[in-house]
Amino acid sequence: MAPPPSLPVQPPNGPESRPPVKAQKEMSKAERRELQEKQRAVKAAAKAGGSSSQPNQKAAAKQAPPPLTSNAMPKKGGKLADTAPPRTPAAPSGRNTRDVKSATAALAENVPMNARGLRIFSHFGLPKPVSLAKGDIHPVILRLALQFSNFKITGANARCIATLTAFKTVIQDYITPPNNTLSRHLMTHLSPQISHLVAARPMSVTMGNAIRQLKLEISGTDIDLPEQDAKKALCQKIDNYIRDRIMVADQVIEETTGNKIKDGDVILTYARSSVVEKVLLGAHSEGRQFSVIVVDSRPMLEGKRLLSVLAEADIHCSYLLLPALGSVITEASMVLVGAHSIHSNGSVYSRAGTALVAMLAKQQSIPVIVCCETYKFSEGVQLDSFTKNELAPLGDTFASFPLTKPRDTLTLVNSPNLEILNPLYDLTPPTSISAVVTEVGVIPPNSIGSIPLALGRLL
Amino acid sequence: MPGTDLTAPEEFDIHAAYLHILEDTEISPPLAAILALSELVVNSKAGTMFELVQALNDGAEQLKQQTTNSISLNAGCELFIAFVTLFPHESDSFSGLKTELINQGRKYAAEALSYRERIARLTLGFIKDDSVILTHSYSRVVMRALLHAHKTKRISVYVTEARPRGLGLKTHAALTAAGIPCTVVLDSAVAYVMDQVDFILVGSEAVVESGGLINAVGSNQMAIIAKAAHKPFYALAESYKFHRLFPLSQYDLPTHTPTILSFPPLLGQSVAARDTLSGVSIGAPAAPEQETLSLEKASGVSAQRTMTSEQIAQNPDVDYTRPDLISLVFSDVGILTPEGVSQYLVGMFAG
Repeated sequence: MAPPPSLPVQPPNGPESRPPVKAQKEMSKAERRELQEKQRAVKAAAKAGGSSSQPNQKAAAKQAPPPLTSNAMPKKGGKLADTAPPRTPAAPSGRNTRDVKSATAALAENVPMNARGLRIFSHFGLPKPVSLAKGDIHPVILRLALQFSNFKITGANARCIATLTAFKTVIQDYITPPNNTLSRHLMTHLSPQISHLVAARPMSVTMGNAIRQLKLEISGTDIDLPEQDAKKALCQKIDNYIRDRIMVADQVIEETTGNKIKDGDVILTYARSSVVEKVLLGAHSEGRQFSVIVVDSRPMLEGKRLLSVLAEADIHCSYLLLPALGSVITEASMVLVGAHSIHSNGSVYSRAGTALVAMLAKQQSIPVIVCCETYKFSEGVQLDSFTKNELAPLGDTFASFPLTKPRDTLTLVNSPNLEILNPLYDLTPPTSISAVVTEVGVIPPNSIGSIPLALGRLL
Repeated sequence: MPGTDLTAPEEFDIHAAYLHILEDTEISPPLAAILALSELVVNSKAGTMFELVQALNDGAEQLKQQTTNSISLNAGCELFIAFVTLFPHESDSFSGLKTELINQGRKYAAEALSYRERIARLTLGFIKDDSVILTHSYSRVVMRALLHAHKTKRISVYVTEARPRGLGLKTHAALTAAGIPCTVVLDSAVAYVMDQVDFILVGSEAVVESGGLINAVGSNQMAIIAKAAHKPFYALAESYKFHRLFPLSQYDLPTHTPTILSFPPLLGQSVAARDTLSGVSIGAPAAPEQETLSLEKASGVSAQRTMTSEQIAQNPDVDYTRPDLISLVFSDVGILTPEGVSQYLVGMFAG
């Protein structure tokens, strides 16, 4: 992994202030705070003055559109947790609200309103637009990162397949430098590419599992193999991974779930899951008679895409937004949802709103079925939607489908005293789920943890 | 109904073999299925593994079609076919392999008869002196457990009548003959008696992937009442009854048909010549008058206080008990929680 970025090291007293009269220990608490505030105000003024020479991540984060031209791309580690330290600015504004208030009061003209920071989701902050890349990033990866950050490619499966396909190109174009072996150097070559992708959008569990598997394959490459053969073998392994863990798995899930759909069923689904789409189309092509209720939510409105595909296939559909769910839930005979990832305690991490749908359905004794391939399995245990999540960027993230209201009224922007918060994911507890359909069978949620053991596989 | 698998020109009738094996009362349907399929292997003319597995699948299909309640039978068939498919091919000749399979099948069946004893021993640990046990219908494994416990502890047993088959009376007779105090309870009086009971023991037709139980109709009711009264509900099941089925609800069972508990079409509000006494027909307010009218008519139909056989046929045979209502599943592979059942099944069939 590349070394972490170095923050501009400023002496604690700020670049322009005088050294304190007394040592800090001797000052009283109030005096120290006063000093701190002064320093913050000075620093913020210096930044707001447009000093773009110092790559300062905090400024970039706090100033949502327009992005700074300076290097606003931090090198995050593979995990979101690593973003916490670099994100915490040298002057932690999210922590001490009184200081923040005084700071912003002093700089109201200079600094945009969201210098206050987000109160509850500050630990994963806002995504930043990706600008200049650090290091030698392959154009395919650049393109992919842009697609991710603009939400042109969404969905766990789609992102993973896109990532792996891009890596295939990168591997093909890779040339081992002299005095190096492919199995050792290729990984260091890929790391900045991965970091760039993660900077665009935090890594999904699927991408993480796939990349881990790829690293394993790379490190296991035979040293004596000629370079072209090794590269070809790696690309073949990537193809096999996509085929076995995603494509074939989806087929098995499609068949298994299709068998659970009976004539006359009313199937309720939420947002858009690629697997659920395949299941519904497959069941319909087999001749089963059923109708679908598509529940959607803002701002992503992904359900519209699913709706158009289903309507195209002549499946009888209804479409509604999440708040209206209570009125139609009793009509549904089954709920089918997809997942971003599934954890060993059986909880399902999926598009925000899935938990609501599942809980409501369970209350009405409607079976809730989650369609999930085994490669989405995450070893960790997640207990709530807070500790790990992602915020959608502000602006216009809609699909290019007809909207009922003019686009500019639906676009989300911050305004004075209004902070828009858009978590993308939420956690459905295992008690709200009836069954999880994977390619190894239909599993009750509480037994999910036993699957890797039973299969003896590294997931 | 001769067997029509192309590998057995002398037309081995698997169903007849199955029925013949079932004549031994100790053998339950899944075991009989396994033995019947072993017989099929004996008589099979298959030359390759693929043909053999195909023949076995065909045989299993035939058995399923000719039995009304095929869930437990299915469990046995799938177990045997999975075993055959995963069997290591050590012998050189195919006939050697077949002989090996047959021997394994027979050995398994012989050993499986000892499973009930094993389960009885496991259950003993959960039975205290002076326990009052509630059980449902007739189950060989529960009988074995109770008789085993009776040797060393004092127990008393309530058993439900288990209509319409009335097998609870068979349990009552057997237990009384063994010297265990036993009382028959109406199916509708289970809630009445629940507070006096220490725990519930039931047998099973099948234990399914979700950890739930498929058993004679009335088990689900008993489990729900037990949950409400905070009494433990234990299911006893041999491992060959574990099935990969995953019912989402009662109506997702393979035994469920649209006619079960469906409303009949209205044939006009005629008073005469229809049994209108029990449940399923024209509206409740009209019923009392019709009852007296029918009684007066008494046109060959006696004053019925029991359901007719058509009405009984419209009712289900088995029901599905959800895993959250079951405390533990006692099996020859150990004492499992309902979640543990799924782990066992995934390990067995998915690997």
